[in-house]
Amino acid sequence: MIDGKLHIFTPEGVTLAVVPAGAARRGYAWFIDLIARAVIGFLCMFLLQLAMPGGAGTGMMMVVFFLIEWAYFIVLEVFFNGTSLGKRLTGLQVLREDGLPVGWRESVLRNLLREIDFLPFSYGIGLGFILLDKHARRLGDIVAGTVVVYRDKATVRPALPVVTPLPLPYALTPDEQRALLDLVERVRTVPAQRQTELGDLAEPLTGLKGEASLQRLFQYAAGLTGGKQA
Amino acid sequence: MRQHQFESRHAALWQDIEQELASKQPSADLPVKYRALCNTLAVARQRGYSPSLVQRLDLLAINTHRLIYSAVGTQEHAFMRWVLRDFPRLVRAEWRVVALSLLVFYGLTLLVGLAVAWDHELAYSFMSPGQLANFEEMYRGGAHKLARRGSDDDVMMFGFYIMNNVSIGLRSFVGGLAFGVGALFFTAYNGAYFGVVAAWLSRDPATALNFWSFVITHSALEITGLLLASASGFKLGSALLLPGRRGRVAALRESAASILPMLLGAAMMIFLAAFFEGFWSARTDIPATAKFIVGGMLWLAVIAYFCLAGRKRAT
Repeated sequence: MIDGKLHIFTPEGVTLAVVPAGAARRGYAWFIDLIARAVIGFLCMFLLQLAMPGGAGTGMMMVVFFLIEWAYFIVLEVFFNGTSLGKRLTGLQVLREDGLPVGWRESVLRNLLREIDFLPFSYGIGLGFILLDKHARRLGDIVAGTVVVYRDKATVRPALPVVTPLPLPYALTPDEQRALLDLVERVRTVPAQRQTELGDLAEPLTGLKGEASLQRLFQYAAGLTGGKQA
Repeated sequence: MRQHQFESRHAALWQDIEQELASKQPSADLPVKYRALCNTLAVARQRGYSPSLVQRLDLLAINTHRLIYSAVGTQEHAFMRWVLRDFPRLVRAEWRVVALSLLVFYGLTLLVGLAVAWDHELAYSFMSPGQLANFEEMYRGGAHKLARRGSDDDVMMFGFYIMNNVSIGLRSFVGGLAFGVGALFFTAYNGAYFGVVAAWLSRDPATALNFWSFVITHSALEITGLLLASASGFKLGSALLLPGRRGRVAALRESAASILPMLLGAAMMIFLAAFFEGFWSARTDIPATAKFIVGGMLWLAVIAYFCLAGRKRAT
């Protein structure tokens, strides 16, 4: 299947699929982080000026700036399961390429190399790498062996209408069975005209057209999965 | 087997694992359950069960995979072991890039310094007269405060040293990725800069004493730290230039992962140096002799640390 997923092979002999995130979503995440860092910076500046005015406050401020510049992403990614604030809000997550959460080593590497990805301005090099790399990794990700993926949300499985199960007129391969089940689970989410059209396309299997064909497909699906009797 | 049969047969297992994932303390037989889960996932995929079921199992498997494999055995005294053994060993093992970095920095310092000492006019080709006069002003006279007025300014300069110097260290590592050019530039630039300033200020005995007593202590940590940082940058560059029998990306990954502890050690040294530079080096109530003694001892300690620490075999 061509779906851009990154398949992780586990010692248990199964593959786990994660979806790498592209440049736009990562850009939004970065922008949110930029604002968050600015807010933190101003807040600290304000508090420090109140607490210790003069040179000492300025000195501590520079330490804070240093931490915001270099440590913000690293600390958040390590302690919050691969998410900075922006990644959390945009539903992204950094993982190691073997699917495990990032540790110090990976996070430090990928975030130090941000400097290079940022060149010549606003992630020029990083964007180039994201567009060219098949898993949309920027240079820092490639060197650190990490990948930014969509954080999986628990899926709500659609409820299927209860219909009388029917046997299939002829045997389908597992791939075809999966396509059929995928169709009946998702067909109700598309516009009505498109539903009719899809029903027409299934004519070779059902011998019917439009909505009637779809109903027949529901019955076949119920027969396939062994659903409850109507 | 029909999908519904399959689901009702294994529903208990899946729910069990979901609960384990939600609880903070997974039970000891989670790996057994996980293998069973992987089995059901593989079967569901192979038999073409509905994608939403496969997706659910996939997600369950990913989360359990993370939980099981990211558990790290507790390492006792990992940090101390790194300080006492692994860090100096790494620096010795990477002696080639460390030597390159030392050579570039001290070579240029010596070259430029001797040139300026031989002909003072040469200093003007590196820096503007205003800058040189500024340096002279800073270190002149008995009551040199290095442009500071009390402990408030000490803290400010401490903050500045951390922001500035540690950033330079990190940048020279990152710059190493550009085939080592970035690291080379930072090292060479700092070497030449230090050479000019040192030679210029050493002309006048008054400024010479103030200058050398100021730099001797923290430079042991700061210069060594900066040089180790650029050495780790050289390591990145060398992985790109001379990948050996590996692909360039593979070489880069391997080198980056292995050299990173050296960079972090270097950053820690520069960080420590900021304490000396902020709160010790600039104090005027300490006689220069005391500074030379402490600074000399620190230099010896740093050299001895990298030459000798961690040589004993682990028992």
